[in-house]
Amino acid sequence: MARIYQVPSHTRLWLALAVVLCSIPQLVKGVLWQTGLLALVILIRWLVDHQRLTLPGRIVRSLLLIGAVGLTFFSFGRLYGPEAGVALLVSLFALKYLEVVQQRDAYVVIVLGYFVCATALLFSQTLGMFLYVLLCMMVLTTCLVGINHSDTRASGWVHGKRAAMMTLQAIPMMVVLFLLVPRVAPLWNMQVGGDKARTGMSDSMSPGQISELSESAELAFRVDFEGEMPSRGQRYWRGLTLSHYDGRTWQQAIPQGIPESQYLYRPGNNKPDWYQRIAEQRESGLPGYRYQVIAEPTQRRWLFSLDVPFPIYGDVALAKDMRLVANRPVSERFAYRVESVPAVAEEIDLTRLERQLMLSIPEDAGVKARGLAQQWRLESPSAEGIAQRALQYFREQPFHYTLRPPRLAMDPVDDFLFRTRRGFCEHYASSFTFLMRAAGVPARVVVGYQGGERNELGSHLLVRQYDAHAWSEIWLENKGWTRVDPTAAVAPERIEFGLREALENSEEGSDLLDDLGLRRFSDGGVLALVSQWMDYVDFRWQTWVLGYDSVFQSEFLGDLLGAVSPTRIAIALIVSVGVLMGLYALFLLWRTGKAKQTLMEREYWRLHQRASERGRPLVVGLSPMQLCDAISEQWPQAAGAAQSWAKYYQKLHYDPASPPNKQQRRHLRRLRNRLYKLLD
Amino acid sequence: MQALDKVLAQVGRVVLGKEEQLKLALTCMLANGHLLIEDLPGMGKTTLAHALARVFKLEYRRVQFTSDMLPADILGVSVFDPATQQFSLREGPVFTQLLLADEINRATPKTQSALLEAMEERQVTLDGVTRDLPQPFFVVATQNPVDQAGTFVLPESQLDRFLMRISLGYPAPEVELQLLAGGDLREQVRELQAVINSEGLIKLSRVVGKVRASHELLDYVQRLLDATRSDDRFVSGLSPRAGLGLLKAARAWALISGRDYVLPEDVQAVWPSVAEHRLSARQGGSVAATTQSLLQSVPVIRR
Repeated sequence: MARIYQVPSHTRLWLALAVVLCSIPQLVKGVLWQTGLLALVILIRWLVDHQRLTLPGRIVRSLLLIGAVGLTFFSFGRLYGPEAGVALLVSLFALKYLEVVQQRDAYVVIVLGYFVCATALLFSQTLGMFLYVLLCMMVLTTCLVGINHSDTRASGWVHGKRAAMMTLQAIPMMVVLFLLVPRVAPLWNMQVGGDKARTGMSDSMSPGQISELSESAELAFRVDFEGEMPSRGQRYWRGLTLSHYDGRTWQQAIPQGIPESQYLYRPGNNKPDWYQRIAEQRESGLPGYRYQVIAEPTQRRWLFSLDVPFPIYGDVALAKDMRLVANRPVSERFAYRVESVPAVAEEIDLTRLERQLMLSIPEDAGVKARGLAQQWRLESPSAEGIAQRALQYFREQPFHYTLRPPRLAMDPVDDFLFRTRRGFCEHYASSFTFLMRAAGVPARVVVGYQGGERNELGSHLLVRQYDAHAWSEIWLENKGWTRVDPTAAVAPERIEFGLREALENSEEGSDLLDDLGLRRFSDGGVLALVSQWMDYVDFRWQTWVLGYDSVFQSEFLGDLLGAVSPTRIAIALIVSVGVLMGLYALFLLWRTGKAKQTLMEREYWRLHQRASERGRPLVVGLSPMQLCDAISEQWPQAAGAAQSWAKYYQKLHYDPASPPNKQQRRHLRRLRNRLYKLLD
Repeated sequence: MQALDKVLAQVGRVVLGKEEQLKLALTCMLANGHLLIEDLPGMGKTTLAHALARVFKLEYRRVQFTSDMLPADILGVSVFDPATQQFSLREGPVFTQLLLADEINRATPKTQSALLEAMEERQVTLDGVTRDLPQPFFVVATQNPVDQAGTFVLPESQLDRFLMRISLGYPAPEVELQLLAGGDLREQVRELQAVINSEGLIKLSRVVGKVRASHELLDYVQRLLDATRSDDRFVSGLSPRAGLGLLKAARAWALISGRDYVLPEDVQAVWPSVAEHRLSARQGGSVAATTQSLLQSVPVIRR
């Protein structure tokens, strides 16, 4: 084992840093023994490198290996699959690092490191993670540079600088390969992080659920409109349609006896009758909004859209109750494009079975409310009239809009309508729908989000959890399903300006806002600007980088190359890689060919040029003193000034004992300027 | 450096009107290099060499090279001593501190190279025994540039061993008058006072190594070397050894000029005598003119 093959000491620290950085994304997941293992390995390595310990022998290493595998199995219940696999890989990576003796071992660790840090992208694809992985790669490259550096006295920073340069130079190549290399759909579906709990809507609604959601400022989804955006009051993002009520909880339901293929339309499948009707209607040129939605992971299948969404792109289906459904649970950020045409809603029919479902209420619930509804029915025979009457009731009686409603007793409907009268949107939507059904008007609850803030930089819309909302829909014979928002009757500002303004005007006052931390997004100033910028960058990362899948790629390449064919892609790839390489080569040639002129050199050449312009042309091979002589010969009056310039210059430029400082250079410039005036 | 001025003054008393050449010869000695003087007979080559030996108090020998000379005539020979029943080395003329090799081009290449090797290595190997030459060791060789019949011209590779080549040339009329009016030259040389002894000379040559050269100056030297290589008026460019020699000579010149750092002027002053004999022009060109023109065309300050 010759000494020459060992890892240079200046690189050992970089290697340790690289191992730690590459492991951190796995370690922060909270498997504590892995952190312990890495700390132990680092400690042993440190002791070994400082000659306090010999490298652990085969037996100890084998025990560590068995322990790591066993603990992985213990923590994850298996050794395969993304989570357990990556955890095992990170442990083995640390153990491999423990074994490094020769350069060859270090190469193995470094190459493994490139792979380990890339696995972090399986679990998170944010811009931050991307930059972090880039940093890891830079540090790994630093190790490679260090190992191959022959000068053992070189400081580690030299390697770091070189590695950074190399990584930066690789970025254009990375972009070209990213854009041009054909993207294939993943060969396997990893379902990474499928069991993670997240904030978001649940598939049912009972009192208190949405108001809980309102306390979170987490992002729900983002929308990028092509063209104009509907006003805030019209932005009802439909998520779920709840039709079944058990007296306390509203739940999603499909009328019994209707097959899913009749109720759900997947692009490419047979078109159900109702879809054919609305599609025809859409063809007739009704106004609509086109937009792209990027949904945050919910682990659920429902998606959000304005009424009535027609899927354009994305793995989504449309249900008859006008909601979008993803074909797989949304386990990572998910993009889809839709066109919403509000006017086609009236084409959707109501079958007998559906009507039955939309009228059903439990026998024993809301006895008083039922009486009230029947009374309204007698007063006005039309459904619209009944709805108006109900809204008027909400407006006139002392109802309050509040985030923290009192608990409701056994019968939530009656208790809310006649006793507490303080509630959040779900209370109003729920009781309104109940009243409508009791009055014989088919009605249902819709939950989703309402409003959303605009990011001024990207002009896209941010919808957060606190925009969660619930409203009602009633069936009108001539208009079909019509949206009625009883919350708007009680707290119109909730719809017009959003939750924050609604709360500020409410009786809880603004201290509640502080409690919830909702204020940080509203106040102007640097913080708000920073948060807008961060969101903008993240959004663009999402749409331009993560959203660049095979469909977008073929669209983009089509625009770029005219037509997409393997030959054209290959040519584009070769040409752009060639152009990049050529640019690098030119840059290198330029840099070696023309090292940058120093200030002192420029000083000389300025005088040389001036003297050549004003008098005889001078040869280039003149030392400062010879230049001074040539000047004195032509301008005898300048001899003194030239002499003092040349003497000063000569001393500064050629005496290594006194390298010029700023002040001296300034003095030299003064001398030259004095000389200039004499050269006429 | 008062001592150096004194040296120049002393030697100047016998080699009249050749201050420039004297200074170059002194530079060559300080830079620990060997000197080639190319001139017609009777121009004062021997006087110069002898005078230098006198002022530095160096052991001095002179060898007249002829075509029938053998290496042993210079290096020495092993002889059998019947009294001790052993071989003993009889040292040749090379074992001295300053060797004047007169008309070196008259000797055969074999003899020439024996001397040149001794010059480079500063040691002599005879019958497997290596013996160091005295310290310091200088060779001043002369060559007659006109009378070429029956000579063996030194190839460029051998000329590279000489740090400098100078020629003395005819004296100016008034100097010649002075010379004619003077007394016996030999007598005068013998009367010269030693200014520095050989140890002093060794010390001085160490000081030469400490003369500072800035990065910018090294850059200039490098660009000059580069210019000879890329100039197609030359058959080939200067070697790295020539470059090192140029810098050393420039350092010595700076020291003689009383400076502890090198200026481009120092490089330019030693440039012809360091570069010319190592370069050969393509047919029709003049080495001297071309070498000189490089000083005009190579920027002193990088542009």
